[in-house]
Amino acid sequence: MQLTKHWVAQLEDYAIDLAWSPDGSLLAAASASGPIGLYGAAEGGRRHELPGHEGGANAVAWRPGTLVLASGGQDGAVKFWDAAAGQHVATAALGRAWVEHLAWRPGPGAPLLGAAAGRKFVFLAPDASLRHEFRDAPKTITALAWHPQGGCAAVAYFGGVCLWDADDMRAQKEYAYGNGIHALAWSPDGRWLVSGNQDPSVHLWMPETDVELQMSGYETKVRHLSFDPASRWLATSGSQDACVWDCTGAGPEGREPVMLPHAAAVCAAAFQNAHGLLATASQDGAVMLWSPERPQPMRATVKMPAPAARLAWSPDDRQLAIGTEQGVVYVLRCER
Amino acid sequence: MDHPPIPVTVLTGFLGSGKTTLLNRILSERHGRKLAVIENEFGEVGVDNQLVIQSEEELFEMNNGCICCSVRGDLIRILGRLLKRKDRLDGILIETTGLANPAPVAQTFFTDDEMRRNFRLDGIVTVVDAKHVAAHLDADDESVKQIAFADVILLNKTDLVAPAALAALEKRVRGINAVASVTRTRNCDVPLDRVLDIGGFNLGRATELDPKFLEAEYPFEWAGAYPLPAGRHELVIGHGPGEEHDHDHAHEGGDHHHHHHHGNENELDLAVLPLPALDEQAVGAVRDTAVPLFADWENRVKPGEAVTAGSRLHRLLLDDGHAAFPLEIAQPGLFLVFEGCGEEPLHIRVAGETVKPVWQADYHAAHEHSAAVSSVGIQQPGELDGKRLNEWISTLLQVQGNDIYRMKGVLNVKGAAKRLVFQGIHMLFDAKFDRDWGAEPRVNTLVFIGKNLNRAALNEAFRGCLAT
Repeated sequence: MQLTKHWVAQLEDYAIDLAWSPDGSLLAAASASGPIGLYGAAEGGRRHELPGHEGGANAVAWRPGTLVLASGGQDGAVKFWDAAAGQHVATAALGRAWVEHLAWRPGPGAPLLGAAAGRKFVFLAPDASLRHEFRDAPKTITALAWHPQGGCAAVAYFGGVCLWDADDMRAQKEYAYGNGIHALAWSPDGRWLVSGNQDPSVHLWMPETDVELQMSGYETKVRHLSFDPASRWLATSGSQDACVWDCTGAGPEGREPVMLPHAAAVCAAAFQNAHGLLATASQDGAVMLWSPERPQPMRATVKMPAPAARLAWSPDDRQLAIGTEQGVVYVLRCER
Repeated sequence: MDHPPIPVTVLTGFLGSGKTTLLNRILSERHGRKLAVIENEFGEVGVDNQLVIQSEEELFEMNNGCICCSVRGDLIRILGRLLKRKDRLDGILIETTGLANPAPVAQTFFTDDEMRRNFRLDGIVTVVDAKHVAAHLDADDESVKQIAFADVILLNKTDLVAPAALAALEKRVRGINAVASVTRTRNCDVPLDRVLDIGGFNLGRATELDPKFLEAEYPFEWAGAYPLPAGRHELVIGHGPGEEHDHDHAHEGGDHHHHHHHGNENELDLAVLPLPALDEQAVGAVRDTAVPLFADWENRVKPGEAVTAGSRLHRLLLDDGHAAFPLEIAQPGLFLVFEGCGEEPLHIRVAGETVKPVWQADYHAAHEHSAAVSSVGIQQPGELDGKRLNEWISTLLQVQGNDIYRMKGVLNVKGAAKRLVFQGIHMLFDAKFDRDWGAEPRVNTLVFIGKNLNRAALNEAFRGCLAT
């Protein structure tokens, strides 16, 4: 297995978010204080440069099945863009707080964009109109994750997680957690909702049964979580090793995690969309590929000139985009 | 990839103190430097080409609402975002709201390794409105805390305050925080190197403590040396009704404002001891004999009854704070007069003429360290036992962390060639070995600022950590 360089693009600033279009034809790359670039997946040519947001963009998200890109920024706005034309389509102004988290509803339901700005959480329709504004979270929202079937959106804040129902807009669950939460992830089968925490730990909820598990022993706060498509493996940052928990059955409690060693703190982790490879990155610039189930899990390793801020697999899992702190986007081919 | 941490300066002060003036001065004078300003939501700084971010205070209570474990979530987010800028910042200024408790802001920089690695809390600068602060100091805790937390205190608007009131205010501010540098300003016109890059939080200055602040506690507050002939003189306490205020009054300042009278207002403990010579050694020896005397059985003395020199504690009975007593001196010479309460005007008249003291001193009295915010400094040579030190500090912070606002120290640990430098805010605490002692004398320096500090107990516990 090999990671080979496919193309490289230079952004103006720190790569704050990366997202492949659903058809795999474009890569959207947002820089911390600059514009949002749209790059052709095949060769890396910049097709369009979207002006983004005053003060900088925070997050980008493609509407499923389309070439509509939503972006959220420090100007408190959510903007919608027609990526094929490179045109701004609509704006939803949510207030003064930064729009930090965006996610489109997955699954068969009506398209909805969940957007978090400060303590405010809203559902927007694809035309940028407000579909619903939820009760303010008690503290600034720090993470957002849709249930894989699109039934509810989980939002996390200092002090807990709330699951907002996408049909009747009510709170399905409110889980208290007495510390800061940096990341949320659902297992693709919807059994587990997981938070990465400041304390430092990983907390797992099983909303069906209200079982809760707490996995601690991390060196630093856990900011990155990723499930494999089979819902077995949960990869986590928070130490110098990528720590991977087996979540089958009753969950990871009492099980030894698989530890995937790096030479510096892990700063990103992403499983493939439909296959079983895990990409992890560390502060020394290393990016590694793993098969956690194998006795010899390491499959490939490359060293980048700067630490990765973002990792994103293309929809067909053949390309891995790496956005660095220095604002360089590398797209690597994953070849056997 | 490793950069030195970005220095952060926190500006506190009540509304109208001049905080914004200072901020604008920094921005215009340091225009060559890339500074980011994090303003409170009411901030009004508007300098072109500066990065100004407004922020709404959001507290994260890490431990069930305990303020000593609270940090500012909004700052964590903004600082995290600032790190992602391509052009690296030379510094960050954080302006807090007038009513802000500085603890959560400062504690934010101790939240985790990432914060410690990327930022360095350079100093907390508190701007004090010299004209109006006294009322705040009496009325609310927050202004006391802002002074207690400060590394730098600007007594601003000095042009609006009379010199005596300013001296009294400075004394009061020093009583709360003996470690901070205090500068008197108008319009915050202070050289910026007193405010920026001061390394205040890294104890650059803690070893240059005000010596008085390191002194032990005494049961008296004031002593003065008087040359007296033999004979029957007059000792006058207070001002009689209708009597003109005597400007020859021995005590400096006139800080009657916050005087907390202990015990009966119409009693004053006093001792008159012969002083063999006016030098440090003799004064020290006499002072030390006065200490047990003040714990002795007192002799109640009514107005008109004689006060004598010698090992005898007089409890003078006053009439509405005023009384006169004959002072009988058998042998002429120098005498040290000790007053239990240093705020009582005291005059000695020989043949109707007021005698001025040739030397005088104020002492820390034990009762000052009640519930009020104060500072305790310890400076002592000797090697510390690392384990015992650790146990002491951990226990101290568990028990008293809520009351200890700030703690700094440079310590000489047995077996270590480097200085152990530590600092803490409430229960959060950071210690590291910084550099070799080299030729520098290996002296331990510790400073506590907070409420309910017991100087004697802290000193004793510290001595218990010395390696034997």
